[in-house]
Amino acid sequence: MGLDTIISLNKVSVYQKQHLVLANVCLHIDKGEFVYLIGRTGSGKSSLLKTFYADLPVIDGNASIAGHDLRTIKNKQIPMLRRKIGIVFQDFQLLIDRSVEANLMFVLRATGWKDKNKMRDRIDDVMAKVGLTTKGYKMPHQLSGGEQQRVVIARALLNDPEIILADEPTGNLDPETSDGIMNLLFDISKTGRAVIMATHDYGLIERFPSRIIKCEMGKVVDQKCEEDNVGPETNNHDLEEDKLEKDGTQNVVEHSDVIIVNDDNQTKEEHNPAPEIDSEDTKPANQG
Amino acid sequence: MAKELKYNRRRLQTSYLSTVIGITLVLYMMGVLGLVILHAKKISDYVKENIGFSIIMNDDVKEADIFMLQKTLDATSYVKQTEYITPEQAANELMEDLGEDFISFLGYNPLLPSIEVKLNAQYANNDSLEVIKNQLLENQNIKEVDYQKSLVHLVNENIKRVGLILLAVSVLFLFIAIALINNTIRLAVYSKRFIIKSMQLVGATQSFIRRPFIAKGVVQGVIAAILTIVLLALTLYWSQKTIPELVDVQNIDLYLLLFGFVLLLGMIIAWISTYFAVRKYLKIKTDYLYFY
Repeated sequence: MGLDTIISLNKVSVYQKQHLVLANVCLHIDKGEFVYLIGRTGSGKSSLLKTFYADLPVIDGNASIAGHDLRTIKNKQIPMLRRKIGIVFQDFQLLIDRSVEANLMFVLRATGWKDKNKMRDRIDDVMAKVGLTTKGYKMPHQLSGGEQQRVVIARALLNDPEIILADEPTGNLDPETSDGIMNLLFDISKTGRAVIMATHDYGLIERFPSRIIKCEMGKVVDQKCEEDNVGPETNNHDLEEDKLEKDGTQNVVEHSDVIIVNDDNQTKEEHNPAPEIDSEDTKPANQG
Repeated sequence: MAKELKYNRRRLQTSYLSTVIGITLVLYMMGVLGLVILHAKKISDYVKENIGFSIIMNDDVKEADIFMLQKTLDATSYVKQTEYITPEQAANELMEDLGEDFISFLGYNPLLPSIEVKLNAQYANNDSLEVIKNQLLENQNIKEVDYQKSLVHLVNENIKRVGLILLAVSVLFLFIAIALINNTIRLAVYSKRFIIKSMQLVGATQSFIRRPFIAKGVVQGVIAAILTIVLLALTLYWSQKTIPELVDVQNIDLYLLLFGFVLLLGMIIAWISTYFAVRKYLKIKTDYLYFY
């Protein structure tokens, strides 16, 4: 892919210990792209994200993230890679022994910030972005799930990373706050950052359409990659739909069409964006 | 709310305190052992420096020559002190021992003038004594050099054995110390293993994560060492009151050295133990955090 490619995976297999989760993953994501990562629970979305930030090793294939080769990366370089990635963890990963502000302060100190005033300004800045200006003194356990999630988002933004990986960042948020966060993430992607968001919330995808990558049947289905390699999953859609119905997860069943249609970047515009979003939010994200 | 915070803090302090107490106990054991070793040296030196030999002079030697020999001996490195014993003094001592006036019985004093020599501790062994004896016998005025070979040997053998036992015990204590401290700190680190993992996930380097743990560990080591020093001082004070001849107050330099050693040992043990305890959780894969 082009010079702008910031995430590039070629025939990568993702293992959780000895179990193969995703095989033959082929994926390219450019700077400034906003990408949804969808798939049923247990389909390997989180494992794929873990591979991105080197929490799971890449055993075969080629993977390069923000200039780091994941096959050959040394333990010492992993922190450097993670500094280029802002991660919104599904399970938050907040430091539960200190206040919200101290959590953010830790990240800044760990990544080499020295000036106390600048650090405080930066913290106020990101806290304002997620709408938590008055909660800095609280301990994580004193916050609601949604508030903790927003703290994690704020933390991911601290170092203005090249890539943002968000694992269900709106899972605990009310619809209004979700929309606020989505607008924030889209704005970030517009400044040339790659945003990858794993989600189950297909309503959200409808309202904020963008490129979609799908994990299913141990494969990653991506329109872009299929052009290079013959995709093995040509007829899987019907099968997948049947399975989803049995699964009983209403959200997934309701929107299963959306997954498939949205798989094609070009059809995106047909799904009417929710009225509250202005079209500027969606268009630049489609450019990839 | 305030109550809850207070409870939380007290609970934290309790675990902090138990670590310090653990380190203190071990350091105190080591310190007491150090005191014993210091005094063992003192005792062994004392015994050794009481080992000596007698130089028996010929009958016709002038007293001036004896004084000169005594001066020469005093000037050598191996002699701690000398004492000239005239035949009269020797006779008086012997008469007291025997309870009998043997001079009036014999009609003359058969005893010869002699010099009692006390050696410095490091020369109080049979090999050195042999060399010294041979040197002295070259002097025409000296009739014989007298020392108890078996006594010297016995003292040296026993001191060697006691020293070895003390050394073995102190090595054992050191192992116990490291194991105990390591365990306490390991528990403290274990309780934070998920936090350590989170720190890694947000891009902190290993040394950055390790630093506060080690700083805290070393502070605990120092606090424990200070407590130990206070305890040791109390022990010294108490033993000086009960057995005054045991504790040498003039030895203050050695005690300071021992205290310094305790401080250093506390810091080093805490540092090394924390380093390895944290390292374990820095290297570990996320999945294993749930099993260990």
